[in-house]
Amino acid sequence: MRYIALVFIFLLSLHAEEEYQLGKGVQIGSLPFYVGGYFSLDYKHTDNTDRYRVDDVAVMGYGDYDKFSYLIELEFKEVYVETHENGVKSTTHNDKLYTERLYLDYNFNENYMLRVGKYNSPIGFWNLLPVNILRETTSNPMSTNILFPKFTTGLNSSYMSYGEGELKVDVMLQHNNDISYEYNNYKMNEHYGFGVSYEKNDYTVKLNGGYFHNLNENIIQDNLYYLLLSAKYESSKYQILSEIGSQKSKNQYTTEYAGYIQGLYRFSEQHLGIIRVESYDDRVTAIDDDILIFGYTYRPLYPIAIKSEYQFHSQSDQNQFLFSFSVLF
Amino acid sequence: MKTAIIIFLSTVVLYAISFGDEYVVISNSKMKDLSTTQIKAIFLKKIAVIDNLDAVPVNLGAMDPIREKFENKIVEMNFERLKSYWAKEHYIGKRPPVSMQSEESVKAFVKNVEGAIGYINAKNLDNSVKVLYRWSE
Repeated sequence: MRYIALVFIFLLSLHAEEEYQLGKGVQIGSLPFYVGGYFSLDYKHTDNTDRYRVDDVAVMGYGDYDKFSYLIELEFKEVYVETHENGVKSTTHNDKLYTERLYLDYNFNENYMLRVGKYNSPIGFWNLLPVNILRETTSNPMSTNILFPKFTTGLNSSYMSYGEGELKVDVMLQHNNDISYEYNNYKMNEHYGFGVSYEKNDYTVKLNGGYFHNLNENIIQDNLYYLLLSAKYESSKYQILSEIGSQKSKNQYTTEYAGYIQGLYRFSEQHLGIIRVESYDDRVTAIDDDILIFGYTYRPLYPIAIKSEYQFHSQSDQNQFLFSFSVLF
Repeated sequence: MKTAIIIFLSTVVLYAISFGDEYVVISNSKMKDLSTTQIKAIFLKKIAVIDNLDAVPVNLGAMDPIREKFENKIVEMNFERLKSYWAKEHYIGKRPPVSMQSEESVKAFVKNVEGAIGYINAKNLDNSVKVLYRWSE
């Protein structure tokens, strides 16, 4: 990890043409190369457990040249975790560096783009901005963890059309092993998916579907199919976000349903209130739960987030309080 | 007669008040015609290449009132929403448009750079650039 820090400091010491602003990264010299990153710390409290965690420490590099653009993101995950359970303290360290994203884009024209590499699967809205600093709550909805592969390693072809609104069609293709599969929620070697979204004024709707071949031996079903319907309304004061979907094998539902609806209100630029209702029925883990979440987020500057939330679960032993501090740089 | 003069003068005054400034979105002369949805997508960096040219949007300075009008009218986002939008775009490897401090600089840049697109007050317009869209406020 110290080598990454040294490289980062060295790159920052090079003259940049633009003045640095927090949350916007920095250009390295006059090269088409920008460096940024983020980190997050969080705290979780349940009836029996307190957990302190240095969760994400990530460095990103990106740029574009002519019709090409690229992005690489390297991340340390759960760098330090300290847990106090029924009065017993335990700690874990993880200094393994993961390749979270690594891709090259080619823009044919205003309508077509091809991506090759490892990327966030363009499924729903939440999965496109999955890091703590960019999402509105410390926690992620369960539906974003269990229904579909968060990352795809392969090709992504996009078609965009601009009429009265904006139409986007995505096709995802993976027929190989993952890059850093340990970091994906599913270990897989095949993924074929599609997405269609339409945005007009403040409204966006999106439909995703796909198939993936699961290699995780803990899950008996290896051929899994998913479907996700998403909708978003956003104005300067409000945001309403909802995603609901299902996952099944050839013979049965593995997740009959999983979804959420989240409302966000901006009291001011810095202060946000969030309410989220979630529900899911996961046949693989034999867990079904309903969750009500109240959250408050304070952003003294947009790239700095201090968040707290309380979760009420239908399984009351899962009730929990979460707090986090995250920065984008 | 007196009433007619009052009505006439009132009409002139009301017309003068209601007639605001006119603004134009301009591009290099080689740019094809664009819809407002396409202009918005270029300024949000959703469109990177157009007609085989690199699309190069150029803003006025952050505090410029014409920029605020453009962002509200065409981009349909206020300053705060754009700040959060560009933080999210930083995560996916995209940068906000470059900024220039004067309308003259924007016009000169647009005139000389293929694929460039900007906006100015219509009173500063000349025939060195192409007009893509007009609006008044």
